[in-house]
Amino acid sequence: MQKNRIKVAILGTGNIGTDLCERLLRDPDFEVVALVGRRSDSPGLENFQGKVQNIIPNGINGLLDILENIDGAFDATSAHDHAEHWNLLSSNGKWIIDLTPSKIGKPLVPELIDVIEKFELIEELVANYSMVTCGGQSSAPLLYAFAAHASGISEVEVSSSIAALSAGPATRRNIDEYIQATENLTELITGCESVKAILVLNPADPPIMMRTTVQMKIESCNLNLIKEEVQHVVKRIQRYVPGYDVVVEPHMTSAGLISATTKVTGAGYALPSYAGNLDIINAAAVETARRHANQFSVKLGN
Amino acid sequence: MNLLYDVTLRDGNHALRHTLTSKFVREYCERANSSGVWAVEVGHGNGLGASSYLVGKSAESDQDLLIAARSSLKDSKLAVHAIPGFATIKRDLMPAIDIGVDIFRVATHVTEANTAEKHIEYLANRDLCVHGVLMMSHMTDINGLITQSRLMQQYGASAVILMDSSGHFIPKDVQERVDALKNSLDIEIGFHAHNNLGVAVANAAAAIGAGAGLIDGASMGLGAGAGNAQLENIVAYSIKEGSSQFEIARFLKMSQLVEDSYPDKLPRASSSSIESGLAGVFSGYAPQVNQISNELGVDVTALWQEMGKRKLVAGQESMIREIAQDLMNL
Repeated sequence: MQKNRIKVAILGTGNIGTDLCERLLRDPDFEVVALVGRRSDSPGLENFQGKVQNIIPNGINGLLDILENIDGAFDATSAHDHAEHWNLLSSNGKWIIDLTPSKIGKPLVPELIDVIEKFELIEELVANYSMVTCGGQSSAPLLYAFAAHASGISEVEVSSSIAALSAGPATRRNIDEYIQATENLTELITGCESVKAILVLNPADPPIMMRTTVQMKIESCNLNLIKEEVQHVVKRIQRYVPGYDVVVEPHMTSAGLISATTKVTGAGYALPSYAGNLDIINAAAVETARRHANQFSVKLGN
Repeated sequence: MNLLYDVTLRDGNHALRHTLTSKFVREYCERANSSGVWAVEVGHGNGLGASSYLVGKSAESDQDLLIAARSSLKDSKLAVHAIPGFATIKRDLMPAIDIGVDIFRVATHVTEANTAEKHIEYLANRDLCVHGVLMMSHMTDINGLITQSRLMQQYGASAVILMDSSGHFIPKDVQERVDALKNSLDIEIGFHAHNNLGVAVANAAAAIGAGAGLIDGASMGLGAGAGNAQLENIVAYSIKEGSSQFEIARFLKMSQLVEDSYPDKLPRASSSSIESGLAGVFSGYAPQVNQISNELGVDVTALWQEMGKRKLVAGQESMIREIAQDLMNL
């Protein structure tokens, strides 16, 4: 059993890295070989002393010594550092799941693998997948379902509101990059070039759950088929994001404009349940890694 | 006298459901230019880049409106409002710089000033005049206001504007807040009133009394919800008070143009706007709240109160339907 596990390293010990580590430690498909931080006194590292085999306080260089022990890595550091990490890992035959906004990797939404051609898994072992943004992951099921049963799509809009407490310093500094990355994914899924992403931070106490609304301007659509498609795709995403729900069903808000809203309640590994935005990104990262690694275990016949 | 900042062509666009045309912008700016208003703000009601199904589509693009205003404004400055999360540097601020906008107001919800760090720095580093705006400023206490204003000052803003976006304040609230900020900041303070409780001009007067250097107003009060402080009334007040150099006639020409052009769009303190003011909910939600409460048969008062309880901030239009549905299921 142990030898078939997917062996991974986690780069980064912030909120995302910590939640990923908790999540992977409880997932029987994975073995967390290393947790990599930059400071020996980082609380993110201390929390996992005794739980993860290799606690590495000296960054990516510390990981190089034990690279042969891992299949791939999750990068929850920064867009700037990701470029270097990807260089080192790819030249050593490892895949990487990118949770930074670097835009280096292939944007991937796990529930759209085998559904939309653009979201096929990479067939090479060495691969880089970008998890895009929380708004991107949470809107993707609706975008796909709407676009599948509508024609003449002329505009698409994705607006998300998230709890202010769940938006860390990196999100706040990179709000323009968030918008751009979400818009890129929206275009990729719908094929529509006129796309708009909006992000609103809400500081209400108790914190709000993340909401994402998709609005699509179309010539015609089959609303019943869209509703059915939404149910199917939501079932698929709920397998790895149990807190994903549709709170406003697809409906026509005015002539030619369809809209629906989803809510994401976090699974509460290391983060509170209001951090659905972080939860969905991490859940997508784990699912993508599982799907990518499984392609090769099938081919290798184990 | 303080500098007058005219928001008719931006906040007023809420009252017009974002149907403002470059033709009207040009006519209005020609009158405003010789009035003595320091700046005229132009664009979508929620600022640059906000035209959307979520908050309302613009009939004409921000760029077209700004180009129209630019050609008519010589003495008064051309200003824009931009909210990070809607507006981005590349897509919205850079074209506005190219058009020749003089004043950039970067706005955030009152507790989220750090989402504007990059935008304010970008503008300040180019020696452009940039103000920070704290929207929904009733949603934190005075210490919170000081902390958030200081962040905007630190990023490079040359003024901080308090927006009473819900029209929730009464004059003593305004005086306390402007006083506190005057004592804590090295930069100019501005105040932006809404008239939900019928005291917008009194609130503007309180801000003037407390030493705010920038006062926002709109001709005929044209603005979200119950509208803004009526610009011509602010001028009349300052004339009576003895501090004004302005000629009221010039302002009345501006308000007359608004009144003649949009007789059925002029804001007033309706029951809905009074309720939103008391509940502390963003004034701009009124059209959606009225529409959804009619459509679903939900009591409009209950809807405003529930929205207040859930502490909605600006830009959450899509929550209104969900909250209305929850109320139906009670």
